[in-house]
Amino acid sequence: MYNTKNKMLEQELKDIWNNASQTAKISIETNQLVEELNTKVSRIQKKIRIRDIREMSASAIGILLFGYLLYEIPFPITKVACGLAIAWFVFVILKFKKSKTQNIKTDFSLSLREQLNNQKTMMAQQANLLDTALYWYAIPPFIMNFIFILGLENPADYNWTNSIVAKILPLSSNLKIITLTGLALFYAFTFWVNKRALTKDVKPIIERIETMQQQIKK
Amino acid sequence: MYKEKDDNFFEEILERNKYKIYRICNIYAVNPIEPQDIFQEVIFQIWKSIDKFEGKSSVDTWVHKITINVCLRSKMKFAKSNDKTDRFESIHFTRIDKEINTSEQEKFNYLKECISTLNETDISLIALYLDNLSYTEIGVITGLSENHIAVKMKRIRKKLFECITPKIKC
Repeated sequence: MYNTKNKMLEQELKDIWNNASQTAKISIETNQLVEELNTKVSRIQKKIRIRDIREMSASAIGILLFGYLLYEIPFPITKVACGLAIAWFVFVILKFKKSKTQNIKTDFSLSLREQLNNQKTMMAQQANLLDTALYWYAIPPFIMNFIFILGLENPADYNWTNSIVAKILPLSSNLKIITLTGLALFYAFTFWVNKRALTKDVKPIIERIETMQQQIKK
Repeated sequence: MYKEKDDNFFEEILERNKYKIYRICNIYAVNPIEPQDIFQEVIFQIWKSIDKFEGKSSVDTWVHKITINVCLRSKMKFAKSNDKTDRFESIHFTRIDKEINTSEQEKFNYLKECISTLNETDISLIALYLDNLSYTEIGVITGLSENHIAVKMKRIRKKLFECITPKIKC
């Protein structure tokens, strides 16, 4: 009796569910839709290309700038800092490239379980990148800048004359302190932005995925 | 990319599954996300993945897989881009003017209300079940064994019946 009653209710629910969409008509113009879909794909690809160029060009400009300074500036310690800065920019480019190749692409045709595992791995990679930003994105360039500024000496001691570069460089003690303080604040801010993104955006998603994984296991 | 895709196959998939997709999107759409937005995202992902369809399961099971994954992702707020809010002009949702059976509508609202009390993964299971999919097909979509699904479904059905029975009887 109980089973028959439940089966009837079950069938009723299935009917209610299946009739639910009869209140709206969905019409799709396929030819136009295909065009719109292709446009959307192209737009997304263009956005990705622009983002890649932006990420890489910042480092490329850095390499060119410090390459020029390495060639131009006569102070030995500053030269070492320029060399280190170039090495760091190369490292950043490689790090971005590596993180892109390691990126797991979202594949919606996977099963729900596999999909959740993939999403978790993907988010964990992002979390790791943000969490360690202090050690690879903030501290190394700050140290390099510190050495760079500390190594600046009196141009006259080296018979060096380049009015444009000399004007830009903080050659006096006061200017060195101001510049270093500004840089310290800038890198502290960069670190804070990364940490904030980690706690506000990435961690809640990981927690959500873990909850779903628990739900599905139960 | 476009040339590899078979437009007729795509059209056939959409025609056969559009209402099933919409019903699931409707369950997952929570303000400010509209069912139409998730529906469009599902269509977009079907289009993007169509080349990868290997025929290991039926097309309809594959469509359900994509639908469930996209709906769950929308709940996790993965997609932060503005793309999802761009409505495709080629998809039209029109209300049917025929007299709507208010009692049916009311029952559907109760059903929706009771389904929303379940957790996200149980919602997927019940949506697939109400769509008349077998445990084997649900297993392919979720990656769970048939036995596991049977156990879970027993619990979910009980919870759903307890919630909806007094409402329907009223």
